[in-house]
Amino acid sequence: MSALVATDTASLPRTAARRQMRLRWGRLAAWAWLGFVFLFIYAPIIVVIGASVDPGHYVVTRAFLQFPPQGFTLHWYVNVAPALWASIFVSLKLAASVTIGAVLLGTPAALGLVRGTFPGRNLVATLFRVPLQIPFIVTGVAFLQAFYAVASVSPLRLQGSITGLFLAHLFVATPYVISAAGTALAQLSPRLDEAALSLGASRWRTFRRITLPLILPGIFGGAMFAFLVSFTDVTIALFLAPQEAITFPVWVFGSIQNDLETSLPAVSTMVFVASALIVVVLQRLVGMETVLRSGGGAKN
Amino acid sequence: MRAAGRFWGLLLIPPALFSGGLLLLTQIVFLSASFHADEGLGVAGQAFTWENYQQVWRDPEYLQSLGLTLRLAALVVLVTLVMTWPVAYLLSRTSPRIAMVLIAAIIATSFVTLPIKTLGMVILFATDGALMRSLRALGLADAHFRFVGSFFAVAVGYTHLAISFMVTMLFSVFQAIPQRLEEAATIHGATRLRVLWRVVLPLSLPGTVSATLVLFNLLTGAFVSAVLLGGGKILTLSLLIQRSLILFNEYGMAAALAGVLLLLVLLVNIVSVVAVSRLTPAARVIA
Repeated sequence: MSALVATDTASLPRTAARRQMRLRWGRLAAWAWLGFVFLFIYAPIIVVIGASVDPGHYVVTRAFLQFPPQGFTLHWYVNVAPALWASIFVSLKLAASVTIGAVLLGTPAALGLVRGTFPGRNLVATLFRVPLQIPFIVTGVAFLQAFYAVASVSPLRLQGSITGLFLAHLFVATPYVISAAGTALAQLSPRLDEAALSLGASRWRTFRRITLPLILPGIFGGAMFAFLVSFTDVTIALFLAPQEAITFPVWVFGSIQNDLETSLPAVSTMVFVASALIVVVLQRLVGMETVLRSGGGAKN
Repeated sequence: MRAAGRFWGLLLIPPALFSGGLLLLTQIVFLSASFHADEGLGVAGQAFTWENYQQVWRDPEYLQSLGLTLRLAALVVLVTLVMTWPVAYLLSRTSPRIAMVLIAAIIATSFVTLPIKTLGMVILFATDGALMRSLRALGLADAHFRFVGSFFAVAVGYTHLAISFMVTMLFSVFQAIPQRLEEAATIHGATRLRVLWRVVLPLSLPGTVSATLVLFNLLTGAFVSAVLLGGGKILTLSLLIQRSLILFNEYGMAAALAGVLLLLVLLVNIVSVVAVSRLTPAARVIA
């Protein structure tokens, strides 16, 4: 094809025009494909938002919501089940604690991995990523059994406690902060530190005034994924969450399996709007590039 | 400078103790549990035995579940690759402003927990819902088709979680490929398709392969969609693990099944490391 274009100069303008045409159609097809994939991604969320204003109907005793909605009501936004609100607060508190813990553990780990000099550094870095490789269902089972084993030899009761769930979430969330802060650190020129040190700044002052501000966007990105992992996890929490303080995802999971709570779509819509705002703020603050580098995707 | 290196290295100790300690504790406890027989009511036998693993091997139910899990993951990985490869490439080559807005739109959806997205799918595909009614009117759906409990439903659920993941992963892969290489090929007369086939595809191969294997790992362990959309009929390995633990209190069996899943993931990881190290030199030569 390209050889033909090169030799046959007489038909060059026509071929070029045809080629332009094909390119335009190709681009249009690619964007249409992108639209389709995004529709697929957003379809369930659009449906949930739509169902949140559906008045709902009952078949025998089971509640049903429909899409497209068969009416419009804000009833579900005003009358949220109290237990649902309670579960949201449990999840928010848990995810916030996990985020803080992951930053406090992950940032020093990243500093050690990037700046430390010791044998087997790559191996250690790989080991720190292991919690992300283990399927969450295995992590859930393993933590539950380990907690039982701990309880059999000590007075510690971690199974079915929020502390136990916190430990498990921290275990899977920390690698996100390590990799995000580590990437940011690796991109820093060591000259910046040397300059500050040679100008008489102490090591701590250099870290606080030079290093920390520069890796902060990376830490934010990692912190977002740490929060995300804890706030959305069902699989681990299903094994470890205490009965009296069920997390939001586990509550939703149970509600769908047993009896649909009709205010669920309304609450989900509010959660989605809040998350979209958080993402907008993060984009303004640190940029999506940093967020993307921090973790790729979240797993469920 | 060496002293500084040692100081920074010391910072690793607390996180290493925490993560390493929990990793060792949990893995040792559950793997050793998998080598003890269940004697009912959650009581484990004293003797060391391969019984649980032998049962996985002997019982057709477990083998079928393993096969189903692998088939489902492989199918969804293929569909996801076809769906996301062009999208991620397009995003990486369009204006960064638009790309970032679209990526942010994807990331915003990952704050929504999976059961809620699943609820959306269940409502969308409800038997008396608008979508199914029109599909039936067009003759595209059977009157007896029930979404929840079908293989199709679980595949759709898996694909949904896979797509958001894969678009962001592949986007980073394509962004790492300098656009100048494609421009150079175009200037020398290569058509758009030829550029994609001879330049973009080989250069993106290592990243695509490793992203694919990560996705495969993620899908073999996927649990929420399998439970909520499978309706107890699509028995993946993850579902059997949960059932034997929660429903039957068979701690040894649950641990053995989890061990099998872990082994599977380990194998895929090894393949991934080998494949990527084989593919990378080739890509480097072209670059």
